[in-house]
Amino acid sequence: MIESVLRTSRIIMDKIIEENPISDSLYKSAFIRMVKDPSTMLALTVVMIYTVTAILSALGMVATDWNLEVGTSYAAPSLEHWLGTDIFGRSVLTKVIHGTQVAMSVGFFTCLIAIPIGVLLGAIAGYFGGIVDDFVVWFYNTLSSIPSIMLIISISLIMGRGLLAVYVALGATSWVNLCRLIRAEVMKHKNREYVQAAHALGAGNARRLFRHILPNIFHIVIINTSLQFQTAIKSEVILSFLGIGVQGQPSWGTMIDDAKLELARGVWWQLFAATVAMFIIVLAFNILGDALRDALDPKIKGK
Amino acid sequence: MLSILKLKGNKMSNKLLEIKNLSIEFNSSEGVVKAVDNISFSIDQGQTVGLVGESGSGKSVTALALMRLIPNPPGRITSGEILFEGRDILKISENEMRKIRGNDISMIFQEPMTSLNPVFRVGEQIVEVLMLHQKLAYKQAWAKAIDLLDQVGIPNPSQKILSYPHEMSGGQKQRVMIAMAIACEPKLLIADEPTTALDVTIQKQVLELMFKLQEKYKMGMLFITHDLGVVADIADDMVVMYRSKIVEQNHKNEIFKNPQHPYSKGLLACRPSLAGNPKKLLTVSDFMTETGAEKKVDKHLLKIHQKDYTFSEKENPILLEVENLKTYFPIKGGVMGRVVNHVKAVDGVSFTLRKGKTLGLVGESGCGKTTLGRTILRLIEPTEGVIKYAGQDVTKMNQNELRQLRSKIQIIFQDPYSSLNPRMTIGEALLEPMIIHNVGRDKKDRMDRAKWLLNRVGLNANQLNRYPHEFSGGQRQRISIARALTLNPEFIICDESVSALDVSVQAQVLNLLLELQEEYNLTYIFISHDLGVVSFISDQVGVMNDGKIVEFNNADNVYRNPQNDYTKTLLSAIPKGLPAIQL
Repeated sequence: MIESVLRTSRIIMDKIIEENPISDSLYKSAFIRMVKDPSTMLALTVVMIYTVTAILSALGMVATDWNLEVGTSYAAPSLEHWLGTDIFGRSVLTKVIHGTQVAMSVGFFTCLIAIPIGVLLGAIAGYFGGIVDDFVVWFYNTLSSIPSIMLIISISLIMGRGLLAVYVALGATSWVNLCRLIRAEVMKHKNREYVQAAHALGAGNARRLFRHILPNIFHIVIINTSLQFQTAIKSEVILSFLGIGVQGQPSWGTMIDDAKLELARGVWWQLFAATVAMFIIVLAFNILGDALRDALDPKIKGK
Repeated sequence: MLSILKLKGNKMSNKLLEIKNLSIEFNSSEGVVKAVDNISFSIDQGQTVGLVGESGSGKSVTALALMRLIPNPPGRITSGEILFEGRDILKISENEMRKIRGNDISMIFQEPMTSLNPVFRVGEQIVEVLMLHQKLAYKQAWAKAIDLLDQVGIPNPSQKILSYPHEMSGGQKQRVMIAMAIACEPKLLIADEPTTALDVTIQKQVLELMFKLQEKYKMGMLFITHDLGVVADIADDMVVMYRSKIVEQNHKNEIFKNPQHPYSKGLLACRPSLAGNPKKLLTVSDFMTETGAEKKVDKHLLKIHQKDYTFSEKENPILLEVENLKTYFPIKGGVMGRVVNHVKAVDGVSFTLRKGKTLGLVGESGCGKTTLGRTILRLIEPTEGVIKYAGQDVTKMNQNELRQLRSKIQIIFQDPYSSLNPRMTIGEALLEPMIIHNVGRDKKDRMDRAKWLLNRVGLNANQLNRYPHEFSGGQRQRISIARALTLNPEFIICDESVSALDVSVQAQVLNLLLELQEEYNLTYIFISHDLGVVSFISDQVGVMNDGKIVEFNNADNVYRNPQNDYTKTLLSAIPKGLPAIQL
């Protein structure tokens, strides 16, 4: 019954297409869909604000003086210090802004490491199959059987504690999911007729894989990136909270860590600032991820 | 005589279903589409009405409306009445409708593969219907389900009732669907292309079964199909839909003998027949203009064309020689994945094909015809045998030689929806083979050729920047043909290339293929399950069964004088009721 309804709606879509011949590529129409949705636009704006803040902070244009003592110890939020001060009298607002830089850079570099690995290994495994596939599957199964927290601790022990270790540790552990998805999709697509048609036209393996199959599954990478990004941000907070993350500079994780002693004294603002900052960006990325999935995934496009 | 009685009966009015001025609209972001536009027709008790039309003509939407299953939004019934036994079912509550659905009106769908739930035994699915509508106890329902399976001709029903859908063949699954549909002895049965996905021999059995059951239960039946042959065999009255409107309705004999509307004429003429065809198939556009006005058709266009089986050694040298070709697929079993057996998809096939000629390969699904085509191209590696193309052994070619060969041999696939890369514009798709094989001086040169090709296959050359989803099925198949022609091939394998198209579009594409063959002296292997299409386009015909060619002869001999038993079975399964068209 559903099948018949779907078939009918496909036929109708066909008819609409014939009668209105101007339409756009997938990405353009996805973009138009997303722009039309207010909550998506809000999420996108939030992400943009965080990104700009992080870049400005990295360039030394804002929040450079986070280490400066600007007021008394544990001053409550006021007009002068919007989010209060910490134990050393440093502005919590400045610390949160600097923390934004740390969080966004962790998200960015983790994705930069994890996504190429996941896409490449997944694509190769799915496309060639056989021994190559066995090896890749064995590799990620082995990797994911080690609790990631243990892996991250050992990586940071080898590389020394600090931001670089966090990037590498998170990057090296978070590609597995994407790799699995890409592998399955490539397997599905490699036997599709359009790939066979390319084969029959004389296209080699590389052309079939990179020119034909990958553009057809690239939306998965985009959706996955937005979700990976916020997972990395959360992981950094947890790592820093546990004391194996960022050292020598404020991050949301270290701020929350500090706050666990402060709460007993009624100092809530440092915890509040860090969690709200994290909550907003994670929520924004989640909304964005869902919106991207709705706009890009052809399976639910008919909705 | 019988038909006169029936027509009289109509006037007496024993109307089971009456549709009056029904209109349905679909809203989309691009605007409102009228899917069904002010249609009226009726079905009497025990009568079969064939609803014929091409995809997009609104026939499936009409069927869904009868069940009140139009998805809303985006669909909306804007006006009209659907009187079922005198009651307007558009006005009753959803609760009452649920009692009618599956009980008084039931429906059979096209895809038996997806209409059954794969995780339940077929028995449980029939029992569910019986318990829901007839309020039977589980034990009684189970006994009745066995009886139903027996009625629809499933062998050993008390055993088979325990099977899961994947353990049954396509034909058996469709029989189970029919059993479910008639479980509550409905007064009206809607069958939406119930045999389209089935092979001809199975189709014949299923049609006979439906006919028998209809007699037994005195059901009214709405039979939706695009296949006029099927309607000719099973229906009493016929309703022809075109662009959301009913253009003609009458007793089927009247329509077949003396069609009034130009669209009906075109529809009847564009179907390749086994009895002989004109040189070019007539299409709907030969009978009517874009605006729907009637055109005069010359009688000589309908003259049956006699095929020319002569060949000269000089003009038609042997191009392809296949000797004892075998393609086996290993079946792996056991823990270590040992090869325990083989599926013999192609099992010792030999034939020769001359330049400029067409070999038609017919057979039912699973007979190995597609595997054979792909093995010749070495998209699938052969297990054994020799494929000689212009004297060279294809099976011994290395990667480089193969790439050279691929510029000479091309393939056109079945499904125009999946054989074009959805992320590549038409221009990119047409340029790609030229880039791979380094044809053409520069980008402009290649673009010019791409534009020329699009024009040649009857499309607008300034559509190069569009994506495949912006074209209809027929247009996409033309694009696939254009792509196959980019490298000036000598030889094209058409793998069910017209099966997914509507009959009138199919006729246009077949005509295009023939024109191109004449113009460029192309050689074709034409793979199809449709005997009519193969008889129209082929010089030689090979009938395949179980991986072997069981009969190989010129087209007229195969159809008029079949030697092999399997060929005879295939031919006898084709619906026969359709008379030849006269003007």
